[in-house]
Amino acid sequence: MTWLDGLTEQSARSLAKRTSRRSLLASLGAMLVGASALPLLPIARGASAAENKAGTGQPDSRSAKQGKLDDPMSCDYWRHCAIDGYLCGCCGGSQNSCPPGTEMSAVTWVGTCHNPADGKDYVVSYNDCCGKSTCGRCLCNRNERDTPIYMPFESNDYNWCSGSSKANVAYHCSTARIVSVAR
Amino acid sequence: MNGSFKDGKLRPPRLADQNKMSVRTRIASALALTLALSTHAATLPSDPMSVVQSLPPGGSPHWVWVNDFVFPHMTEGKAMLVDGDSGRFLGELDTGFGFSRVVLSHDGKVILSPETYFSRGTRGVRTDVVTLYDAAHLTAIAEIIIPPKRSSNMPMMADAELTDDGRFLLIYNFTPAQSITVVDARSRALVGEIETAGCALVYPTGPRSFFSICGDGKLLDVRLSSTGHAASSRRTGRIFDVATDPVTEKAVRVANTWYFVSFSGMIYPVTKGDAGLKLAPTWPLLTAAEKAQNWRPGGLQQLAAHAGLNRLYSIMHQGPIETHKDPGKEVWVYDLASHERVKKIAMKNDSGSIRVTQDAHPLLFSIFIGSNVLDVYDATSGDYLRSVDSIGTTPTLLVTAGPS
Repeated sequence: MTWLDGLTEQSARSLAKRTSRRSLLASLGAMLVGASALPLLPIARGASAAENKAGTGQPDSRSAKQGKLDDPMSCDYWRHCAIDGYLCGCCGGSQNSCPPGTEMSAVTWVGTCHNPADGKDYVVSYNDCCGKSTCGRCLCNRNERDTPIYMPFESNDYNWCSGSSKANVAYHCSTARIVSVAR
Repeated sequence: MNGSFKDGKLRPPRLADQNKMSVRTRIASALALTLALSTHAATLPSDPMSVVQSLPPGGSPHWVWVNDFVFPHMTEGKAMLVDGDSGRFLGELDTGFGFSRVVLSHDGKVILSPETYFSRGTRGVRTDVVTLYDAAHLTAIAEIIIPPKRSSNMPMMADAELTDDGRFLLIYNFTPAQSITVVDARSRALVGEIETAGCALVYPTGPRSFFSICGDGKLLDVRLSSTGHAASSRRTGRIFDVATDPVTEKAVRVANTWYFVSFSGMIYPVTKGDAGLKLAPTWPLLTAAEKAQNWRPGGLQQLAAHAGLNRLYSIMHQGPIETHKDPGKEVWVYDLASHERVKKIAMKNDSGSIRVTQDAHPLLFSIFIGSNVLDVYDATSGDYLRSVDSIGTTPTLLVTAGPS
């Protein structure tokens, strides 16, 4: 049993006696998502996996989109191979734009992701959108090749909303911008 | 209760049941009634107004500060004090946005807390401060304004540390330019900033020295002047293999050695001697067979140590390399002299953060960011003692007296 299974099982036991299955899943999803505001947290990975586990029956529209490599609102979207945070497309922005009233961080961490549609690898920059409280929608964490924070630019343990004029350091959501074809 | 539920109605006890009551029971009932009447007659005294608890000076080595980032509401960081012996919640500090952890003064009288605030909640002017709290009353007694550069990252003990004599507080900055803010804890004043370009976090090595880890696997060895300014700063040769098996940032210290652990479970002891920083021989937490079974260290505060027992504690789980931050259901205990594993502790709940008190009868504390239940164990026997529920929202680091 993984730690996530344990977490969900523990939560499920306490809720199962007093809720329907549908509201149980909703409550559990809300709890896990709510516990994960900062990008790049182990708990974020858990919440993301929980959404996958819950599968159909989840009242959250995200679940219906899981597994779509070409859907920017899906955690499985090909560009999200190293993302950790709330997907800006679910928060009023898109995979390459920030929601109204926020500001895109100038610096960030990058991943190299494979696009199955054209068979090419791309360098993807996960610029955070900053200056408002955490969005709380479409949490996604995929932690492959994550490095410790002494190697900052491949580390998802930083809040990259730092040093910018308006933001500094309130985190809202994350984008996944294509920078170039990887060489 | 005498009586029963049937068809949704409470029915009175039947006479036959009443007849079954013993004489002894009847006497007891009569006595209870008499007592109730006499109690009713007494008048309770008025309670005094404005009574506020304080904590005994010096506290207890079994007190633990549970630090909480409060991810869903990051402006509301806090640290909560719990007595490991009784399980009592003793009090809390409110510590602002993107909180990492409190730092305890060596005399136990003051709590130092690097904090960030905005003038309008999540916007407006950002102000970073070190707040000093009176440890007996948990009230703010002083505030030192520092450059608004404090790193916002997953909380780590090495975000802020005191020098070995407790004089200077060192705080890691990331804007993403990297530096260390130095605060004089004695005069309660900002000293200045030390550039650490390419190097992160703070690991004290003496009363006037610390190192940071650089992105190329070298260490930045910094010596401070008597006033807390950089007296010298030099890079070592390559210490860590960052390309193939990096160490995590979550090291623990025993005497003059910092113990780092790599993603694959190798221990890298970094010692400070007269000749500077040196890597002692590395050694594995895992046998080949355990490695083949994908056992791996993980967690947010994944290591703990006890200097007196000379033991190292490591949270363990099974999973591939990308699970290097995951919690575990076991803590493995090692003798630091022989490198032998001396115990496996089966944890009651998922463990992401552990801390061992440094006294002669040490406790092992355990918590996980995805839960808010603090578990307490006997650190020597590994026996589970108790759990304390509802400790914050997303608890991160456990802080007790003694080195990280």
